[in-house]
Amino acid sequence: MAGHNESEKKSSDALDDLQTFRAENLQSNMKVIYYSRTFLSIIGGVVAGILGFTGLTGFVFYFLVMAITSVALIAKAKFSIHTYFDSWNRVVFDGFLGGLMSFVLFWTFAYDIVHIF
Amino acid sequence: MGFSVGFVIGLVGVLILSHAAYSTSQYRGLLKITEDEFSGPPFSVVVELIVGLVLCMWAALTVPGNFLSIHPHSDENRMVSLPDNLDFMIFNHRGKVFVTEIDMKLKH
Repeated sequence: MAGHNESEKKSSDALDDLQTFRAENLQSNMKVIYYSRTFLSIIGGVVAGILGFTGLTGFVFYFLVMAITSVALIAKAKFSIHTYFDSWNRVVFDGFLGGLMSFVLFWTFAYDIVHIF
Repeated sequence: MGFSVGFVIGLVGVLILSHAAYSTSQYRGLLKITEDEFSGPPFSVVVELIVGLVLCMWAALTVPGNFLSIHPHSDENRMVSLPDNLDFMIFNHRGKVFVTEIDMKLKH
């Protein structure tokens, strides 16, 4: 009997551990993060182009901008990530590669306009 | 104009960045005349770039909206929120028997 109770308790614990959250709100939070990251990678690209970065320096600059963005987004979430997102990866890494593409595009664009023409 | 404060700040940041781009290209033209090598933009442009970047970052963080809590038990996520005076609400009463003012006006 005791063993039965034990197993029942375990299954209810498992039910409590199951992550339940509002998918719509999570999706809207992700959209906010995508907007922020895309806009900032475009702006970062323009800044890198005006500063005249070439080669690896520009990519280091991108990592720097994205790191600052991540810290700012965490600060926006009032440092309690788990009330707004289900994992840290969402706020730190999502939108990183897509942002890199816009960054390179606007980096070369601004560099061409300012330094070559 | 229904622009939010963050949007206007972002617009100002973009304008500052484009002015910085313009002065850098002027500076490049000057270097071409004096036949110097480009080693980096002038100090005023760097300051402009930093100010523009900070303004745009401010805009990027405020314009897209606020985060919403994903906890099902938090206050803003309650499925129903009924008022406290439910017992005193009356939906069915004798007033419907009387002729309404609108009907009176229509008849006259």
